[in-house]
Amino acid sequence: MADGSRIQIKMRKCLSRDLTFGIALLLGASDVQAQSTPIPHGTLELMAENQWIAPGHKFDVGLRFQLEKGWHVYWVNPGDSGEPPRVEWRLPAGLAAGAIEWPTPRRLESSSIVDYGYEDAVLLIMPIHAEAGLAALHTAMLSADVKLLICSHEMCIPGKAQLSLTLPVKSQPPVPDARNGDWFAATRKSFPRPAPGNWKFSVADTSDSFTLTVHALRQSANRQITRAVFFPLTESEIENAAPQKFQSDAAGFRLTLRKSNQLLKPIERLRGVLVVSADKSDFDQSYLVDVPCSKSGAARSSHDLQIQAAGIYPTRSLTLESLKEVPRI
Amino acid sequence: MKRSTLLYASAVALVLGAVLQLSAAKVGEAAPDFTGAASNGKTFHLSDYHGKYVVLEWHNNGCPFVRKQYNSGNMQRLQKQWTSQGIVWFTILSSAPGKQGFVSASEENDYLAKMQAAPTAALLDPRGEIGHLYDAKTSPHMFVINPQGVVIYDGAIDDKPTTDLNDVPGAINYVSLALEQARAGKQVETPATRPYGCSVKYADSH
Repeated sequence: MADGSRIQIKMRKCLSRDLTFGIALLLGASDVQAQSTPIPHGTLELMAENQWIAPGHKFDVGLRFQLEKGWHVYWVNPGDSGEPPRVEWRLPAGLAAGAIEWPTPRRLESSSIVDYGYEDAVLLIMPIHAEAGLAALHTAMLSADVKLLICSHEMCIPGKAQLSLTLPVKSQPPVPDARNGDWFAATRKSFPRPAPGNWKFSVADTSDSFTLTVHALRQSANRQITRAVFFPLTESEIENAAPQKFQSDAAGFRLTLRKSNQLLKPIERLRGVLVVSADKSDFDQSYLVDVPCSKSGAARSSHDLQIQAAGIYPTRSLTLESLKEVPRI
Repeated sequence: MKRSTLLYASAVALVLGAVLQLSAAKVGEAAPDFTGAASNGKTFHLSDYHGKYVVLEWHNNGCPFVRKQYNSGNMQRLQKQWTSQGIVWFTILSSAPGKQGFVSASEENDYLAKMQAAPTAALLDPRGEIGHLYDAKTSPHMFVINPQGVVIYDGAIDDKPTTDLNDVPGAINYVSLALEQARAGKQVETPATRPYGCSVKYADSH
């Protein structure tokens, strides 16, 4: 593959000062990780969770963004402005990449603009499916073309990066790569999860807002939910910059979300991520929300909704651009 | 009785005022009037163009989404195509001093000449007054106002939210679509979309 070899040469060139890497290449040690590549105001690295590819198994790879202070990249729904990173894979036959599993974003507020994204550092994890027939290969090179938009509150800059990672193919059960394990583990902790089974959600559609009501039975007597923030999965449903009015009572809480000016038709379901903070807890919890909208707002149990992390979020929900990220092999 | 009616009326007026302010530039509603100082030294009032279609284009010359439209020549082509048919086109610059896209009047005039841009005028809005009035989110955020002064389109310039010049030729241009359909007496099929791009670099952002 002419394209691939060119990248390899380019990478060798820019990393020639890295003696260890050079020696590793000479020795043909193919589990050497790709080093980070510069992007505007940050670096980007492609990393694998495991030391090698085991044919017939799924494994995870990640794009790790390390950003300078004051700069951010975007969630799958970027909010009022911006665009999420896009990945196009070039993979050997027998490997297929899945969609990005988006960690819970943060609200990036500036004036009357509210975006959803990530500051400092983020790992965007994607599954790679390895077919059993891959066993014939000794190594496999995974190449990703990444297009991204990185912004501060003052300006936006587009970036492009070509990254590649060569991994051995071995029939033994895969072993995690200790260098990357913490990143994958910490990122998975920040994934939104299905809400507790005894929580009941409903959404009432009023003329200018959606009211998300959550009957959240307390896990323990001393834990009162004190704050909740909703991140809509679909663009232009709610006014991102409008305050989300939080009201709680003994039965749970309610969040009022103002409708977007660009929303002119009713929506069938409200989907997104709900981040809640509780009393006496240092950690916020983030939950998946996929609730039918009704004028009456009848409550339904989250069990009825069949929310599965691997189901609606992120794969099925990402109907817009992210589907393009799944390579057709 | 009379006094309470008056009180009630003023309360209603207050609430209405608040509501109108919130949805100041909403499709199907009256476009809020504004006065803008143009880079050419003239002053423009939206209300002077009652009876004409008006296009509003939020601009930031450093934003990669705007550069896609201008470096491909697409924005200038649209400006020429529509102003030649009697449509009024205001390019509005709401970047605050020190932020991406902020320019002086003469810098903007140089830019318009260099890019061969042809809006009716480029309005300098460094305090973000027109921007906030319309709740302009991005560059380029586009609005189309009909001859009755009603907003008939609010959103993106087209259906390709990227910075890639190659995406311009195949894109569906929502502004042209709205103008064509409205001028033919038809319902605007896509009256609102997400206005993709860079955030408008307002003065009070940090």
